[in-house]
Amino acid sequence: MQKQSLSMMPAARPAPKIYQEKTENKIERYEVIIDRAKCTTCGACIEACVAYMGSAQINYDAFKKANGYFRVNNPNSSCTGCMDCVKRCQPGALSVQFSPQYLALGDPRWTGGLILSTWEQAETGKTSGGYEHRIGNSGGGFDRIRFEFELSKEPTRDDESSHEMDTSIVLNKRKDRRPEIEIPIPVYGGDMSFGSVSLNVMLSRAMAAKAWNTFTSTGEGGYPDELISFKDHVITQVATGHFGVNAETIKRARIVVLKYAQGAKPGLGGHLLADKVTPEVAKIREVVPNISLFSPFPFHNVYSVEDHYRHVQLFKDINPQALVSVKVSTPTDVDMVAIGSYYAGANILQIDGGCGGTGAAPDIAKKNIAMPIEYAIPIVHNYLVREGVRDEITIMASGGIRTAFDVAKAIALGSDGAVIGTSELVALGCKRCENCERGRGCPSGIATTDPILMHSINPGWGSQRIINMYRSWKQQWDHILTKLSLENIRELRPKDEVKFKKGCFNHLVHLDHLR
Amino acid sequence: MTAHKQGSKTTSRHYLRYHIETKDAPPLTSLPPQFRVKHLNNCRDAGECAEVCIYEVHKMMERKISEPIEDQCRGCFLCYLRCPENAISLQINPEFERLGNSYFTPERIETIYFEAGTGRVPVSGTGYRGPFAGKGFDGMWFDFSEIVRPTRDGIHGREYISTSVDLGRKLPYLEFAKDKKLFSNNPRNIEIPVPMILDAPLVCGSKENLQLALAKAATELETFAIIDAREYTSNLLRYSSNLIPRIDVDDLDKFWDLIGLSRIVEVDFKHDHDSKDQVEKIRARNPSALISFRLPCNEKSPETVEALAKMGGDIAHCYVKDGLVEKDPDVVKDAMRSVHLHLVDKSMRDSVTLVYGGGIAEAAHVPKSIILGADAVSVGLAYQIALGCKVCYGEEHAADCTIGVEDEKVEQTTQRIVNLMGSWRDQLLEVLGGMGLREVRRQRGEIGRAMFHEDLEERIFGDGE
Repeated sequence: MQKQSLSMMPAARPAPKIYQEKTENKIERYEVIIDRAKCTTCGACIEACVAYMGSAQINYDAFKKANGYFRVNNPNSSCTGCMDCVKRCQPGALSVQFSPQYLALGDPRWTGGLILSTWEQAETGKTSGGYEHRIGNSGGGFDRIRFEFELSKEPTRDDESSHEMDTSIVLNKRKDRRPEIEIPIPVYGGDMSFGSVSLNVMLSRAMAAKAWNTFTSTGEGGYPDELISFKDHVITQVATGHFGVNAETIKRARIVVLKYAQGAKPGLGGHLLADKVTPEVAKIREVVPNISLFSPFPFHNVYSVEDHYRHVQLFKDINPQALVSVKVSTPTDVDMVAIGSYYAGANILQIDGGCGGTGAAPDIAKKNIAMPIEYAIPIVHNYLVREGVRDEITIMASGGIRTAFDVAKAIALGSDGAVIGTSELVALGCKRCENCERGRGCPSGIATTDPILMHSINPGWGSQRIINMYRSWKQQWDHILTKLSLENIRELRPKDEVKFKKGCFNHLVHLDHLR
Repeated sequence: MTAHKQGSKTTSRHYLRYHIETKDAPPLTSLPPQFRVKHLNNCRDAGECAEVCIYEVHKMMERKISEPIEDQCRGCFLCYLRCPENAISLQINPEFERLGNSYFTPERIETIYFEAGTGRVPVSGTGYRGPFAGKGFDGMWFDFSEIVRPTRDGIHGREYISTSVDLGRKLPYLEFAKDKKLFSNNPRNIEIPVPMILDAPLVCGSKENLQLALAKAATELETFAIIDAREYTSNLLRYSSNLIPRIDVDDLDKFWDLIGLSRIVEVDFKHDHDSKDQVEKIRARNPSALISFRLPCNEKSPETVEALAKMGGDIAHCYVKDGLVEKDPDVVKDAMRSVHLHLVDKSMRDSVTLVYGGGIAEAAHVPKSIILGADAVSVGLAYQIALGCKVCYGEEHAADCTIGVEDEKVEQTTQRIVNLMGSWRDQLLEVLGGMGLREVRRQRGEIGRAMFHEDLEERIFGDGE
């Protein structure tokens, strides 16, 4: 058996680095309002702010008493909303509120705070504690689940732990004479095709994957030549459209993912609008430019478990060294699908929950078809435990996993790791304005095929942002493991069936069921 | 694809699929933009915002930055982030936030506007943005076909998925007389190619042209629109085969002619009246008309519907007032399901057609109602929102109701209703395709092909299964 592990590979602990390329205004979270009629210009607020923040949120220069009154809101302040200035203000002239910009950013899943915190982590490689970086505000699922230690009164900083913990996972547990492949962090990059995202984004993700010794995926859009030099860190996808799939790309990959369904559009197949099919995209996908491309649903050669077995074996035969990952979404009988995939010979089962990302999908499908990943993980895990095969297949969860804490919660619910898509794009500056389906669509130059817009992402800058984000996530996982006194992240995954009692299970607490 | 409005009627030489012809129809009153974008006083016309904005909100005119076009803003924040003077303010428009109410949310209203304006299926990138789950319809997810069950590809027209449903009772079996002649009286059925009928508009504003547009849309869609019999004007007569007059029980004699020329007649159910008597009266006047009883959905409705079906009612139009749904969205879930299951228990589910109405605010609510047990859905407030309704339930804004349609806007109004239904039908096809269903009739009551929030919560996070 070949074992490719950390000991043979260069240690993947890329250091965070601040890579300043664009200067941008900050979206402040809070806004300080000063009532000039009440202000006595005593200056207590400045002292309060400096004492607690280290960096002032009130512009000193604008504060000179010669002006007769204070001016507040330095455009690039880093107010954390501690309210100390308000408390210390004797005449009660100050008030702090969320800034209108902050309120306009984001949505319940990806709140403004989560976007800003991801940007911050991408920039600095750590969290400052100024933004909520663990959960969103969707009112269910991961957003209502906490680790027990999070409920304790004493405040904790996620970066306080100084030890490096073992967060590696093994992707192949089948003992089928294929490589085991160990990755040092329990995540790899999600499938995003050339065409849905630009080449520079793919390069950024591949460079980051290489630095972390993990993987990224080509998605269904063919294998651009520029990625060949990263081939040890690139998963290639086979989906129903078979765009740009050939024996060569399959042989090149260490992992081949067979996409049976995608969480954002389960049962519907993919659709790349004509706008995005530029000559370059068409060339790689081996199609005619400027026409819409469909990947139909499903694989019409797979209508039974036997077909499924043959389909998996076909790719195993083409590349005897590759692992096969089966990507499915979450229907009512996701457990049956999982066990079927196990018997079909899948090394990795990727379950993509109903809230997953996409380049373009009908809104009705995104919201209403397939169950959220939070339910699917325990259902699949429990069934495979009962069947006695849980330790022979790796489960990767995806679809709505946004933060390091989401990943840890997914693992505590029964998956081995997670596949990350949207968070990487947010690290590159995505604001989730939802307009990914058009060619010129993306203002941030991410989900675009436009030759000018795509240059707003420089691969050097982009990869460092993703590296930094994972650096910060790694720190948070280390912190969680330290708090839970676990040796490594593999121990976080439950050995037995997931069974909540009074809302608690395996260090997790579900706030809605807590009694 | 050949467009033909008489699609469902197959001629011997041409097979014509049912197809709803959609085309752009601008709104009668525009919505406030979602974002408020302003150039602050310290703007020095650097033009950076105009350069970065791909939505063309900001434009340079003769070296001056012109007023932002807020309608086109998608909230990408690039102008805000890149402005060298930090002179841009971008925030949620409070006017937009005030649209509708907690159920007919601004987002739902915006979606309805899009659907009615273009007839297209709303498509977007990135994952689902909304809350995790919710009450009522929001706590339901559809199942879909995975790997081993073939799905259907209806949306791109490669496979035909039927969205037709039948109105009227169906026989469970045929009976034959001793001389082997058919003994059963085959009841009358009306097939509509979409499982949606248009409910009568609520009050506010003038209704004459609105009803004309409604009648035209129903005719074009080959479905039905419900019109209050008292407001049935002579210019609606030519559309009478697609109109359902809604008649108060006491007025049956008054609308004798109307009953004669309608294919379906709707009567408001009243407890203190003898429904059997009404059925006989209508049958005497028009033996071929289907009789629909309109009744509020509550805990009594299962028995009531059973009784009505036994008396000869063909359709039970169960509704929940939109205002009640807003207060407790969960009512919709139990309402339809209890009636459906009761009829299944009594082995008489096919002896009456269930039409459900109330709280239908987005395309997904149609297949969800059907899964909960309805045969078809009546759409009321949604199409009125597409025409500018402010969701006041006939109260606060009644005075300045903008929904009154001018003579020259009848066509546009018709098209908006047609577009909305076209978009909703396409989205229904997406759901049916994903679920691997060939026709919407098979979806009725298929509770096993849906997942419920509370069930899953209990199963995974509750104490034991």
